[in-house]
Amino acid sequence: MKTNVAIPADTQTSLERVMSYLKGEKPQRVACFPLILNHAARVLGVPVGKYNRDGKAMGNSHVAAWKRYGHDLVLIFSTTSTLAEAMGTKMKFFDEDAPQIDVPFLKQHSDISKLKVPDFSKDGRLPVYMEATEICVKEIGSQVVVSTVFGGPFTTAAALYPVELLTRDLIKNPKWVHELLEICTQAGIKFIDEILKRGALPVIVEPIGSGSLVSPRHFHEFVAPYLKRLADHVHKNGGGFPAALHICGKTKSNWMAMLEADFDIWSLDDVDLGEAKKAVGHRVVLIGNVVPANLLKNTAEEIDEEARIICEKMGDKTGFILGSGCEVPINTPPENIDALINAARKYARFDQ
Amino acid sequence: MTRERGDILKDLMDGVFLMNEELVIKAANEIVAAGYDAYDAINNGLIAGMNQAGVLFDKEEYFVPELLICSDAMYAGIEILRPHLKVGDARVKHKVVIGVVEGDTHDIGKNLVKIMMDAAGFEVHDLGRNVPLASFVEKAKEVGAELICLSTLMTTTMDGMATVIEMLKEEGIRDAHKVIIGGGPISQAFANKIGADGYADNAAGAIRVANSLLAKVAA
Repeated sequence: MKTNVAIPADTQTSLERVMSYLKGEKPQRVACFPLILNHAARVLGVPVGKYNRDGKAMGNSHVAAWKRYGHDLVLIFSTTSTLAEAMGTKMKFFDEDAPQIDVPFLKQHSDISKLKVPDFSKDGRLPVYMEATEICVKEIGSQVVVSTVFGGPFTTAAALYPVELLTRDLIKNPKWVHELLEICTQAGIKFIDEILKRGALPVIVEPIGSGSLVSPRHFHEFVAPYLKRLADHVHKNGGGFPAALHICGKTKSNWMAMLEADFDIWSLDDVDLGEAKKAVGHRVVLIGNVVPANLLKNTAEEIDEEARIICEKMGDKTGFILGSGCEVPINTPPENIDALINAARKYARFDQ
Repeated sequence: MTRERGDILKDLMDGVFLMNEELVIKAANEIVAAGYDAYDAINNGLIAGMNQAGVLFDKEEYFVPELLICSDAMYAGIEILRPHLKVGDARVKHKVVIGVVEGDTHDIGKNLVKIMMDAAGFEVHDLGRNVPLASFVEKAKEVGAELICLSTLMTTTMDGMATVIEMLKEEGIRDAHKVIIGGGPISQAFANKIGADGYADNAAGAIRVANSLLAKVAA
């Protein structure tokens, strides 16, 4: 345990630190991206249900969370199904939890004719996301990168059509799945445009492409080509922004197929991050991967030690951002998030 | 011409294993028409095929899509054969209550465990998703389940698993039911912490854990 190591003060701002990565320079220390999403509501003290449905509450929650923690990436997000919701999927809302899918929009294959790219000014909760993004960029955008997170084409498809039927159709009706993915990709491209227009970084999450659900062969056929179009769109229109991808759960079996999607940054969850660095570190910057349930359940000392071990595994610590493997649980004790960020200050420096 | 029993059984097994539901339906109807034993066909044809699929799933050669389509074929065959089971065929099976804990509607992992438990010969009582915690205890008492399997994908609902175990203790029946837990945020450490009897990382693992717990009970 090195918990008593003094915590060196930062002299770079979050924005300068992250810009160092983009310029190919070494920052003062490794950046830290705890994936603070719905937990932001706790910092402002609003119900998660309100955070999820009120753009001001969502935006102000993230401003408050950033002021409290000083993490290096603000992530506007409520669920991975938000694009699908705007395209017609019904969600079930909770007072103190993120929404979950209630009724998927597509009941049968022929319903695809009713599916449209959403209108970002009115459909579903897209206006909530847009307002929250605008608030954060205006309030803290000069000090930290603000990003807005949305589900990738495959994840959006699995929220529009029940995932158990969709996975069967990868084998039984591949042509229809490709049609569906095409519309989801167009919706994703529109999302990227709307986020870039507001001065924020689009971040794509594709949890349904996890190795627990999809084989490398299916990832290659159904996930990578569509993700690549989103990455290409960010590269072409993002004014220097990198293309960032998060996939939850186990992903090792799909790493090679994931490379085909041509993202610059991967946020990984249930993997050995040191092993990932050896396998793909020459191609992508890796974010990860303190176990989310540990953030919720363990002590600050245990988080410090877990983060220290991750930093150690990352060798020269280039191309590495310390973070949580997946969403920081809503009820995570704040001192555990502090411990994670302090670990980057203590164990992952380039200025010593 | 009536084909040999073994040839038809092979079609049932291959049909499940190779995701060919039509072949399974044809072979199951052939079993019925020829008057071969339905129980034998289910066990040594359909379930044998599903277990082969499970082996490939364990080796990461089959994934969720393949396993689901194999199970569709298995269940299609069972539907045809079940009416032809004889009274004496009802063997005593180990009983399991399974579900996703309250507050969580993600159920694909639970459904995979259910499929593999069906194939492994358990009598599975599936409570579905977003299940009130007391329902696990009530159902386990009602059917006399030896195993209770709890699943969740979310950190907000994982403490519900500890509550179920507390409920079993309060009713004085903790020793009567083994509790297995699993899902995204769940770990062996969490299972130890809340006093669950077992933890499984995936569907194939759940069967191994279930069998080893039952073997301990029997010993």
